[in-house]
Amino acid sequence: MELPIRLAKDSREPIYHQIENQLKALIAGNHLPAGTPLPSIRVLAKDLEVSVITIRRAYQDLEYQGFIQTLQGKGTFVAEIEKKLKNKVKTNSVYETFEKAVETAMNYDYTIEEIEAIFHDVLNTHKKGD
Amino acid sequence: MEPYVEISNLQKKIDDFQLGPIDLAIEPETITALVGNNGSGKSTLLKLIMNLASSDSGNIKLFNTPVGKEDESWQRNVAYLPQSTIGMDAYTGNALKALIESLYPKWDNALFMELINLFDVPLNKRFGKMSQGVQQKLNLALTVARNTPLLLLDEPTAFMDIPSKKFFMDILIDWMDKGDRSIIITSHQVEDIKKLSDYLFVLRNGKVIGNFEKEALTESYKRYWLNSTLPNTAIPGEVSRAHPQIVSNHPEETEIFLQKNNIGWIDRKSLELEEIITLLLTV
Repeated sequence: MELPIRLAKDSREPIYHQIENQLKALIAGNHLPAGTPLPSIRVLAKDLEVSVITIRRAYQDLEYQGFIQTLQGKGTFVAEIEKKLKNKVKTNSVYETFEKAVETAMNYDYTIEEIEAIFHDVLNTHKKGD
Repeated sequence: MEPYVEISNLQKKIDDFQLGPIDLAIEPETITALVGNNGSGKSTLLKLIMNLASSDSGNIKLFNTPVGKEDESWQRNVAYLPQSTIGMDAYTGNALKALIESLYPKWDNALFMELINLFDVPLNKRFGKMSQGVQQKLNLALTVARNTPLLLLDEPTAFMDIPSKKFFMDILIDWMDKGDRSIIITSHQVEDIKKLSDYLFVLRNGKVIGNFEKEALTESYKRYWLNSTLPNTAIPGEVSRAHPQIVSNHPEETEIFLQKNNIGWIDRKSLELEEIITLLLTV
């Protein structure tokens, strides 16, 4: 199984961090339920065209934070994680996305009021869509 | 864990060509790509590791045993696929298999047959009657099936067709996944380097440019598109310049300098591995 991970080579976010965050999002969003086997470090390194050093770093961080677990001789699996942790990942990613949008607007010299107006505009389009 | 290969201060002179001094350690469970221009000494380095050529100075240890001394136990732990083989033309695939199988106690016949079937190699045909691509596939199967912890591959995919190159990568990945194994591979195929390697050991005309972890290399090269002119002197991190673009291999230092001098940029892009290798081998 090839994981839907897309690396942004031009991003300032280090590659191992991108892998870590995207795996977290897949787990928190229930796309990878508890017990799902993950590719070996070597296979994921080949699929994403990065070194095993980078994948190992991402897997170690995820294991430390309780998202995945490695069973000796069996491989790496998605761990059972608390609802609270899942919600935290979801909230974080929504916040991050909003922050990025605000940053983009600020870079174009929009005022806070103007950004608010755009935000309401976007929300209204979604309301109408329902 | 002890490195599988330890090379220190290795030097070899052939006519006008000087290889080294080389220092290199190969850790377990890693794949190192030897990268360099033609005639940079990659194949010579592999021959030196295999004791098929003698060095002028320096040391090579394989699995903690010095190469080129009385104790030749290291030979059981390494399988080498040279760029070209001689003296095999008169033998059939079956005969070559029987010969090599008898030399390697850990020979994996199931794996050998799997590769032969995957690559569709006719074992009853004489080696000399096979195409270069088929010869390469047979040689690869004869090498990988020796089941040694260290594999040295010299241009293993040069003559292979596209599907075979993909099979070849999957085979090596599976082989590595069995654990406690390492590969040193020379290749001019960027795809091999991208998908397989953890480290790039770069040689240029016999001189070591460096041993780079792949992301350490790809994340350190950036190309800036500037919106004003640069001073005539080189700026920190600058590798090459083609106004209004510059390439830097120390982006943080470059950005500090640009900000201090009020030079803005409208774009900042990573480089493809191919471009980075080209810069390392030409600039």
